[in-house]
Amino acid sequence: MIATDTALLEQALAGAEDAFTALYRRRQGGVYRFALQMTGSSALAEDVTQEAFLALILHGTRYDQARGTVASFLYGIARNLVLRRIDRRPWAEMEITEECAGPEDLLEDLTRRESIEHVRQAVLSLPPVFREVIVLCDLQDSSYEEAAAALECPIGTVRSRLSRGRAMLARKLRGAAGCAGRSIECPKSL
Amino acid sequence: MSEESVIAALRALAAQDREREVPEAVEDRLLQAFRRRQTNRRWRNGLGWSLAAAAALTIFFVAGSHERPKLVAPAPIPRRSVTSVPAPAEVATAPAPKQTRPVRRQPIEQPIEQPIERPIEQQRETVTQFFPLLDVAPPFERGELVRVMVPASTMRKVGLPVNQDHLADPVYADVLVGQEGLARAIRFVSYEQ
Repeated sequence: MIATDTALLEQALAGAEDAFTALYRRRQGGVYRFALQMTGSSALAEDVTQEAFLALILHGTRYDQARGTVASFLYGIARNLVLRRIDRRPWAEMEITEECAGPEDLLEDLTRRESIEHVRQAVLSLPPVFREVIVLCDLQDSSYEEAAAALECPIGTVRSRLSRGRAMLARKLRGAAGCAGRSIECPKSL
Repeated sequence: MSEESVIAALRALAAQDREREVPEAVEDRLLQAFRRRQTNRRWRNGLGWSLAAAAALTIFFVAGSHERPKLVAPAPIPRRSVTSVPAPAEVATAPAPKQTRPVRRQPIEQPIEQPIERPIEQQRETVTQFFPLLDVAPPFERGELVRVMVPASTMRKVGLPVNQDHLADPVYADVLVGQEGLARAIRFVSYEQ
């Protein structure tokens, strides 16, 4: 039988190292990818992941099962760490360049990877309040409830931000594609 | 670009990132931190139980001594259960404590004969902040502050600096004992002339 996150956390807080290891291995990927997709930096994402799990070791007793899942709790910690770092970083580092540079047939030459990186940059250019719901709900497959618990806001707020975030993303992608006179297509492999 | 296209593009990004994970070095660092934390917890729990036992012994002996005045302070804010501190002469003649040892003194009514130094009551008392002894303490309702004597090495264990040569020296400490008998916090006391 697979132990739940809550059970693993309880055992870890009681001193069971194997429970902590199991919980870490189960959740580190999600926390790391959340931080990566929020910051665009693998080094920052690594730092955030380490600090989030350190916080779990030190302050895990603050977790309240009634307020959400352990994953939401971890995302909430990671989110706070990310926002602190985003505040310190110059925006220019993360802003997508919306000017049309390069050859006319830029989009034609885009490989699948480049298309995806373009989408990544578009996500990174969103304001943090919209970016975090896009990352949680669309990239991390979190439910609205989980996202609401992690972001400490009502589910309705998650829904509306998600809708607005997607609309902003569509405009950015359309705008960039429009520069080259074509629309960005979804990668064919999907 | 429709919302469906945006969602599909985001799925492609999620699929590309799916295998990305934290380097193993992070797990190693976290496990080291976890072990350090457990070591500290075990030590603090051990100290807590030792002090609780010392405090309980103090309360037991004080309460069992009918001819002595009640030593529990009546103040609404928890104060020292043992309101007294030893006279200097008593401290000087007492054997050097190796373990946590409750401090008792002569009743206040009894005159202290020929004090060698000024009584400690007349000296200025300086206390440190309280250091918690429990990671997760049950709700606090009431408690008592019990003065005990501990080796100076105890101060080092809560992070206070102590000279290597004075680790065995006895120092005064106030232990806050909760209603359930658990030692919740400790602070250290020094006297200035």
